[in-house]
Amino acid sequence: MFAIEVRDLCYKYSSQERSILDKVNLAVKKGEVVAIVGLSGSGKSTLCYCMNGLIPHVYKGELQGDVFIFENMVKNMKIADIATRVGTVFQDPDTQLFSPTVEDEVAFGPENLCLDREEIGHRITDALEQVGMTKHRLASPNHLSGGQKQLIAIASVLSLKPDVLIFDEIMSQIDQIGKKRIKEVVKNLKKSGKTIVMIEHNLNNLDAADRIMAIQEGKLANFTGELSGSGAVI
Amino acid sequence: MTAAKTLDPRTKLIMVLCLSSLAVFIQDIYVLGGVLLASFVISVILKGDLFPAFKQVKRLLLLIVIIAVIQSLFAPAGKTIITIGTFPLLTTGGLIRGAEFILRMAVIVVSATIVATSSSRETVQGLVQWKIPYEIAFMVSVGIRFLPMLTEEIRNVMLAIQLRGVELDKIPFRKKLKIYSYILTPIVVGTVIRAQKLATAMETRAFRAYPRRTSYMTLKMALPDYAIISFSILVSASVVVVYYM
Amino acid sequence: MSCYIELNNVSFSYPRSYPRGKVAINNVTLHLRQNEFTALTGPNGGGKTTLAKLAAGILKPSSGKVLICGKDSAKMTLGEIGKKIGYLFQNPQQQLFALTVAEDIAFSLELNGHDKGEIARKVKNMLELFQLTHLQDSSPFNLSHGEKGRLALAGIFINHLDYFILDEPTTGLDVERKNILSDIVKRFSGHGIGMLVISHDEGFVAQHAKRTIEMVEGEIVYDSSKDLRP
Repeated sequence: MFAIEVRDLCYKYSSQERSILDKVNLAVKKGEVVAIVGLSGSGKSTLCYCMNGLIPHVYKGELQGDVFIFENMVKNMKIADIATRVGTVFQDPDTQLFSPTVEDEVAFGPENLCLDREEIGHRITDALEQVGMTKHRLASPNHLSGGQKQLIAIASVLSLKPDVLIFDEIMSQIDQIGKKRIKEVVKNLKKSGKTIVMIEHNLNNLDAADRIMAIQEGKLANFTGELSGSGAVI
Repeated sequence: MTAAKTLDPRTKLIMVLCLSSLAVFIQDIYVLGGVLLASFVISVILKGDLFPAFKQVKRLLLLIVIIAVIQSLFAPAGKTIITIGTFPLLTTGGLIRGAEFILRMAVIVVSATIVATSSSRETVQGLVQWKIPYEIAFMVSVGIRFLPMLTEEIRNVMLAIQLRGVELDKIPFRKKLKIYSYILTPIVVGTVIRAQKLATAMETRAFRAYPRRTSYMTLKMALPDYAIISFSILVSASVVVVYYM
Repeated sequence: MSCYIELNNVSFSYPRSYPRGKVAINNVTLHLRQNEFTALTGPNGGGKTTLAKLAAGILKPSSGKVLICGKDSAKMTLGEIGKKIGYLFQNPQQQLFALTVAEDIAFSLELNGHDKGEIARKVKNMLELFQLTHLQDSSPFNLSHGEKGRLALAGIFINHLDYFILDEPTTGLDVERKNILSDIVKRFSGHGIGMLVISHDEGFVAQHAKRTIEMVEGEIVYDSSKDLRP
């Protein structure tokens, strides 16, 4: 059984003429860390949206093929069920945090699941511990650095206890120190058995990956060390 | 533990409601002065951030002069202080009206500092526990969080335009309109994009998974809360009764 | 023309800083020369953007003086400064204003009443230089992050200035787009145009910088041009 399986996935945004994903196949084993690299506009983020159910649940468009999470078809799952299976962290720290304190931010997901207070408390503690941000529990996200904000974004997804994590270029707006801490957290999450799909365009951020795939013009293939057309090599 | 931390945000909201209702209904300058003094004392006890409030009131000072003049012109009362020809430009009645206005505004501004001694999260939770739908309360809280960002954005856009070598005060009048559109476009677009991204992040964290949701934070009123609420309502009611008798 | 921007004993703190009263820039003296590509590096929150904004006269120092081409920045309007220094903000979103790409590049010249034919020629050059020709009629807001960044640069570079300050120009650019930017930067440097570039992209800095300055907690902790002291 695969944690995530993508079968012959094609997708076209209704506003565009060309398909952004072209027969994408991907199978990620439980506990595996897969990195997907590619240039801007190659379909990386769209693939993320398909794996966490935003496509087709929120964004409409022409979708063919299927995505499975532990053998459940994503398009038949409820958003709430997907949220407890797949956690997504996005690129921009400022548009994912919306609460006045770190504690509230991390509590947001479990609150939506109607868990009881005691359980939510435990989850906040655990999640903050996993990202090493325990002492900032009562701080305002406004007063944190970009890297710290991203760690809180990760914690606020971990509090939903997902098996699979999707990181959509989470280091692209972060400074060196922040990147280093995030990379450590990613490695620890890998050790704790999480399945991780990380989208990246910076080839220096792939230390934790077991396997690297490249996406080019909507097609996914094994990464050969070069993103063609640009002559860009690692 | 300070009073600001221990008092329930709802207690503060009720105090503020009492104060601002009094400020609206009462037309007597002395009573209004008393209401302002009361708000002031409460804010000081709760360690409200009064300094920015002063600055705001200061900005309103010109308004009192204008209101005083308008009142004097159209509803002259009391002794005339300045006249233009036969028209009374400024009367004591007008001056009092102006002063009353500033007192009212000051009560409202000081009240805001009382509410602000609770975090926006606590105030939202207070509203939720008053059975105000979570979505509405949440919108208020997100609004509060992103408002400073919006003002900063407007400032940045203005900066960016000028830094392209456009001297705003030297632009001919017919091109001025164009500039407003250049300022507004990125702000509107930026706000819409931010809202979309925010909604996406919330969606992936199971927002509205169920019709209801639990809340990690819960507020409980204690004896002092009930005492203060009863006292506030009682006092304001008696002031109104005495005033209208 | 050796010195373009001079910061003399400049300190700065934000009126609403956190924690209160925190000094963002502490007594910095720095001379930026036109013939140098200067990279400004350091951790987030170290004061890089604040320093850049002070150098560009966007922020006025709490104490000390900033001279732009010998003139006190506190006495210059932003429009005046914009004719001396081009400034790229971190977020390209906030510096795109018009409804089409071509108009966005052209509008500052149009508002300043330049000749139509001259504007058209310059815009065409910029579109080509930044590989935006195929997008000239699109809305700037539908572009990708990298395209927005290039467009913002084009809008600034169309004013032929001698000095540019770029705040994180490589953020969100993939390898290929970064190469395009590198080529452009190289070309401008070759023409003797000065640049101060904030970047935490080590590769980009190493490739271009003649001089590297590192800021930590509001102070310059390293300046490669002073590294040759015995």
